[in-house]
Amino acid sequence: MTYGEVGRRDQPEKPITILINGKKCMAREGEIVLSVALREGVAIPHLCYEASLEPYGGCRLCMVEATDHGRTSMTTACSLRATEGLEVCTDTPEVVKYRNVLFELYLAEAPKSETIKEMAARYGVTKTSFLKKIDIEDALGGKCVLCGLCVRVCTEIMGAGAINFINRGPYTVVNTPYFEANTDCLGCGACANVCPTHAIQIEDRNGERVLHSWGGIKIPLKRCSSCGKYYTPEALAVSVQNTLMPPIRSDLAGFCPACRAKKCADMEIRAHMKTEGEGNHV
Amino acid sequence: MDEKTLDEIISRYDSPSGRLLGILEEIQTSEGYIPRDVLEMLSVKLDVRLSQLYSLVTFYSFFSLKPIGEHVVTVCMGTACHVRGAAEILTTLEKLLGIERGTTQDGKYSVTTKDNKFTLEIARCFGACSIAPVIDIDGDLYGYTTPERLPEILEDYGWREP
Ligand code: SF4
Ligand code: FES
Ligand code: FES
Repeated sequence: MTYGEVGRRDQPEKPITILINGKKCMAREGEIVLSVALREGVAIPHLCYEASLEPYGGCRLCMVEATDHGRTSMTTACSLRATEGLEVCTDTPEVVKYRNVLFELYLAEAPKSETIKEMAARYGVTKTSFLKKIDIEDALGGKCVLCGLCVRVCTEIMGAGAINFINRGPYTVVNTPYFEANTDCLGCGACANVCPTHAIQIEDRNGERVLHSWGGIKIPLKRCSSCGKYYTPEALAVSVQNTLMPPIRSDLAGFCPACRAKKCADMEIRAHMKTEGEGNHV
Repeated sequence: MDEKTLDEIISRYDSPSGRLLGILEEIQTSEGYIPRDVLEMLSVKLDVRLSQLYSLVTFYSFFSLKPIGEHVVTVCMGTACHVRGAAEILTTLEKLLGIERGTTQDGKYSVTTKDNKFTLEIARCFGACSIAPVIDIDGDLYGYTTPERLPEILEDYGWREP
């Protein structure tokens, strides 16, 4: 079972066949078509899809033509669910036209993003006829495409909700309230990990994590009580410990994952030797 | 706004869905803007992330993060008004009110005079194109405006030639 099934566990899993660009592909009923395509090696450009999150359909790049029971429509592959006999085409002239305009828009929206330039170039788009968005004070360095992944991960997965969209229309940006350090941030860095254009600047230095893009939030890092290495932001450690049921045993809670594993193995071996030792006396 | 007043507003909204905008609207109306400490208090009281509230407040042009003046003068910069000289109306108003052009970080044009009497804003089409160029003061529309007529209009709202 892949991440893609989160939230769909109630669905019965029925194997079905769908056609992608004429190729027969096995899928589970209700599976996200974009995920089937990627598994089958069919490239569909996408920016706002993340298997562990609810379908969003924000970036519009994964647009395909879908024919279901004789009805054809244009739709986003990241929100389209597989049904028996579904036919999907990823490069009809209409899809290509649509996609090219989008690439031009993204080149203007995030003129500093190498990811976008490379992605667009793969589809033959190297220039944009739209006005490029240039803002030297942009906290995201002209690389943000407003896909919303960071906001969704921060809210839906981490439950922190430290960042969100601000303003509207052409002035929309993502950041913390008042563009200042926000105590809701756990310092987990999930936003930077998920960002398709590597727009979010995070740095670990002198025992703290600095979130440069988010108003310079500083979160102290925690040292492993065994090996002494910094291994996680303090706030994240507290939040994880409070969420886990049951929590990590108190004698292990301050250890980094490597030391924790070592300690567990150590305890296992000792316990084993002890029983064996006891056995000898009998 | 003190905590008691905020609690009173919140208590009028019993259903958790859709109450955010209502509460924010009452804060905006009573304070003339959304003060930061009130927004932070609201976030704690409703257990809604500050980032979400800030997102809402910056999305709707109805809300303002800065105090606005006693009277709000809005100049229509829609197509019809533009063609009929809205730009000149705007520069004249700026001159009369003694303010410098400025856009806020959200791209919104909104400037308030030092004495907090007037806030000058711009809008796109009031739907009154037939009487262009149009300005709106505190909800009252003034059509066929000319730079010459502006002082007279403003005087009704307490403006005096400096
Ligand atoms: S910062 Fe990155 S993840 Fe967040 S909206 Fe912009 S492009 Fe998407
Ligand atoms: S990946 Fe489908 S709309 Fe963004
Ligand atoms: S353009 Fe000014 S009212 Fe329509």
